[in-house]
Amino acid sequence: MKRFLSIMLLVVLFAPVSFATPTYAAEYNLKQMTPKVEQALLNRKARFEKLEAYKATGVIGENNRGYVELLGNDPQVADIVQGENKDRQVIYQAIAEQNNIASQIDVIEKVFAQVQHEKAQAGYRIQTADGKWKNK
Amino acid sequence: MKIRIQRYFFLLCALVAAGCTIKAVGDPNRPITINAHITIDVKGLKDTAVNIEDFVSGQTAELPIKGEK
Repeated sequence: MKRFLSIMLLVVLFAPVSFATPTYAAEYNLKQMTPKVEQALLNRKARFEKLEAYKATGVIGENNRGYVELLGNDPQVADIVQGENKDRQVIYQAIAEQNNIASQIDVIEKVFAQVQHEKAQAGYRIQTADGKWKNK
Repeated sequence: MKIRIQRYFFLLCALVAAGCTIKAVGDPNRPITINAHITIDVKGLKDTAVNIEDFVSGQTAELPIKGEK
């Protein structure tokens, strides 16, 4: 009887602890491919080479908020920058909404900025966390 | 002796159970707002970002989606 009580006591004491410990890793994916998101992805894919060419010349840089930024005055490049940022915003918002983390859009943007900085080739203009621009 | 141990055991069970119960008490006309603090798993988010950027750059051909198409 004493042994039974001791075991039961241990179960009662440790059960809440085991239930309270999360054992899953969060995943934030595009869970549903809406026509809007698909179009944004395809637009970006089609624009990629041109964007890279401008990044190589330093006319466009990757800022610290997950968007591209015009670093010159060329109006033609400005249109490309605007289109790219619009498509990126569609994708960021879709991730936020589909994963119920709409209030964390700034975190999503910063994570994408980090990935863009890591993927940037040597010599590309990138904006550091303190807002300064530098060549990678 | 056995009865005493059993009583302590049930008392302990009751206390533990009470400690794990969330009781909401309040005025129905004044709803309680709970501001939940959300912690994002940046690692999971970064994997998604890498997948998307790989698709955009042509490194992968598949659309980055894990769900309905």
